[in-house]
Amino acid sequence: MTWEKEDIVAYAVDKGQELGADYVEARYHRRRSTSLATRNGELLGFESSFEEGVAVRVLVDGALGFAATEILTREGVEAALERAYRQARSHSRLMREKIVFSDERLGVASYAALQKKGFDSLSEEDKISYLRDLWERARGATSTARVATLMSFLAESVEEKIVVNSDGAYVKSLVPRLSLGYNVVVALPSKGTIQKWFSRAASGGYEWLDAWRVHERLPEDVKTYEKILLEASKPPTDRPVDVVVGSEIVGLVVHESCGHPSEADRILGREAAQAGKSFIKPDMVGQRIGSEYATVIDDPTIPGSNGFYLYDDEGVPARPRFLYKEGLINEFLHNRWTAAVFGTHSNAAARSMNYGSEPIVRMANTYLKPGDMSFDELVEDVKLGVYIKSYMEWNIDDERWSQRYGGLEAYLIENGELKGLVKNPVLEVTTKTFYSSLDAADKNLEFYAGTCGKGEPMQGVPVWFGGPNVRLRGITLRVRE
Amino acid sequence: MREELLGVGERIVKRALELGFDEAAVRVTFRDATMVKFANSEPSVAQSWKDRSVDVYVAKDKRILGTSGSVSSIGEVEEILGRLRALASRIPESMLYAPLPEPSKVDFMEGLVDRRILEAISDPSDVSELIVEAVHRRSVDYFAGMFEASYTAKALVTSTGTSLYEDATGIQAYVRVFAGDGSGQWSLGSRRLDEKRIEEMAEIAARYAVEAKNPVDVEPGTYNIVLSPMVAGNLMNYVARMASAMSVMMGMSIFAQKKPGEKVASEKLTLIDDPRNPELPYSWSFDDEGVPTYSKPIIERGVFRTLLHNSKTAAKMGAKTTGNAGLLHPHPWSLSVAPGDRSLEELIEEAGDGFLVTNNWYTRLQNYVEGTFSTITRDAVLIIKRGEIVGAAKKFRIADSFPRMLSHLAALTRERYDMYWWEVKPPTRIPYMLFRDVHTSKHTG
Repeated sequence: MTWEKEDIVAYAVDKGQELGADYVEARYHRRRSTSLATRNGELLGFESSFEEGVAVRVLVDGALGFAATEILTREGVEAALERAYRQARSHSRLMREKIVFSDERLGVASYAALQKKGFDSLSEEDKISYLRDLWERARGATSTARVATLMSFLAESVEEKIVVNSDGAYVKSLVPRLSLGYNVVVALPSKGTIQKWFSRAASGGYEWLDAWRVHERLPEDVKTYEKILLEASKPPTDRPVDVVVGSEIVGLVVHESCGHPSEADRILGREAAQAGKSFIKPDMVGQRIGSEYATVIDDPTIPGSNGFYLYDDEGVPARPRFLYKEGLINEFLHNRWTAAVFGTHSNAAARSMNYGSEPIVRMANTYLKPGDMSFDELVEDVKLGVYIKSYMEWNIDDERWSQRYGGLEAYLIENGELKGLVKNPVLEVTTKTFYSSLDAADKNLEFYAGTCGKGEPMQGVPVWFGGPNVRLRGITLRVRE
Repeated sequence: MREELLGVGERIVKRALELGFDEAAVRVTFRDATMVKFANSEPSVAQSWKDRSVDVYVAKDKRILGTSGSVSSIGEVEEILGRLRALASRIPESMLYAPLPEPSKVDFMEGLVDRRILEAISDPSDVSELIVEAVHRRSVDYFAGMFEASYTAKALVTSTGTSLYEDATGIQAYVRVFAGDGSGQWSLGSRRLDEKRIEEMAEIAARYAVEAKNPVDVEPGTYNIVLSPMVAGNLMNYVARMASAMSVMMGMSIFAQKKPGEKVASEKLTLIDDPRNPELPYSWSFDDEGVPTYSKPIIERGVFRTLLHNSKTAAKMGAKTTGNAGLLHPHPWSLSVAPGDRSLEELIEEAGDGFLVTNNWYTRLQNYVEGTFSTITRDAVLIIKRGEIVGAAKKFRIADSFPRMLSHLAALTRERYDMYWWEVKPPTRIPYMLFRDVHTSKHTG
């Protein structure tokens, strides 16, 4: 990152104020990435790309204008500023309530995420060999069924930003990330197919490959998928049972039914035509949503996390946010606009995907607080139940109330012991039912990676979501026939 | 603009060949766009983009590599190409490699640029005001939505001698209107700006919002369901994307175990990959390999006709390119579904007992090969009893499979709508569609 970029964003902020904007923000944002993809061990191709530019945001007479340019000169950002200013001013006549930002103590800082093993610690040949070896291990794991397809990819990225605004923020950051993903299809013509899409991602470098243990886990999973095709029986759906929900699903549940509905911009209706509204209304802080085990935290500051940052894209210092706390709705995710509306302070949730994106309220790393049980203790007093370890299909309504998770790997529980595999159990419950039925959590906190989509144009930002394995009491399951 | 973009493409192709690559294809894109986003019946932000980007495909000894970046940092693109050239000798051949096609004559579509959209890019506030006013002609509470006006110019230069340029305008608009406990949403995609169509979009969304008031709980089961163009468009998007040969190769398609000529749907269904429809955004005259596009059925009268190919997937699967190339992956262009012969009233009457579902989101698959999926309704769900709308229902899920639903398509309307929003991309011209015996689901507690 060179001083010219810093000069351009500082110039943009000065120039925007000269134009007459009430607030000006400029962000230099660069993302470079390399990726390679294989199918059944054979290389498809290798890509190395970058995108960089400057985003500007202005407040003019209570209207918000945004513009982006990839022309990294004073003239380039000046033209973008003029566009943002002009559009904001022309739309200010349609504003019924003026947009204002909360007062905040903003950062003047520079930080970088740590990388123990750099991207050049593995040669390109090693990386390709890694994916080829993954295919060999996967296809050798079955005895009756066949691994029909294994599409896999390995990707490296580095995100650099300089955020400057007219309220005093000046934050430089650098975050490298590694990701690995695959789609596997296990087929047995007489029984059908099982498919699983899975990915890992984190900030840092190749130190993560050892931690993820994908070489060991995927062959084990493939063996299990074969057994599902051969042996799995129908889950109990005719009566309420206890359900042990695996951490992979718990992570998604808290992301979808706590993190999203806690986004204050959604609560205020800003995403109503896209990602929808929220069952949480502005006056619901303090209301009960679940049991004492329902504590959900969103924390951007977790070292190594996929959603890692220390200052948001409005320059506000990050901290953990306790969204649900011991069963109560506790805190919303705020940027400076929503904080002003609610008369509070931003908790640094403003994130943007790239230079072409406005900062909006986003999650970072969302997880359910773990308990102190072992997994065996979770299961041991379940007379009849189902343990759903992983999923494929899921969705949730646009107010984040009715949610559904199509189980993939799942087991019957009888008298405190895991029995045989069951096929296609579906957990389809309301948010209130999920958190209220929660009566235990084990201590095995695990995180999963995702790209969370929101905004218009759609912005995908890297996140983690996670949690322990948990137990729900008295749930009626569905089954996909 | 033409000379500028072609010049960038020629420079990068030349540099790639100087570096020792055997082949290069370079797409240079200019975008000028403005988007106004609405919430609570007022603009929440006005966004504007003006940028030039470059996407590069290169090959050396059957190794495939690529890069992309911004035109203003073209020096860095060239630096990356240098690194890729050094890398090419160290990686294996690509399983997908096939030579770039030789240049073909392209018949360019006329009328892809609308001057009025260019004016709206510069100042969309009059259209914004029209949307606010049109939605509130009915007695509704508020709305959210967006309007985008865009101009795109693209140049394609390849080492085989292709040198092509095309430009086009487009709009995307949608509103979600709220009235009491009801809501309705509708969308529009077009290459031309027509205020009457924007007013019609607002009117339909507002009407559905009012009709959706006072919804009642309904039990999950098996129902005859009329899908609006919003919902049908979303599901046909999935079918079309699964018709990409790359989706088949990656195990992400219901067509993985099908061959052209096999029956995959009711004979009522004809789904067309429609890049030569100049009225729909995503209509272009040539693909990313310079191959002329043409409109063709993916499914014709229920029979699977066309897997969408670029030259690489075509070579791998013993087929011919269908003019659907992205630089690596083939993809559908604009889509259309052939109309039926019913009015909407006749379709509802034919449904007998069931539902009219006007919007959905969050379609997710349990298994792409088997096509099992669920999607959840949003906005107006209208109850049909004895062939008439009698009230509104609360949300539920459609939880079924694509092969099963496609075989249960019973009838379509004559009138079609041009849908384009979050859940319908690529833009799709599509009628209301009646499906029989659709499985639905709902939370158990």
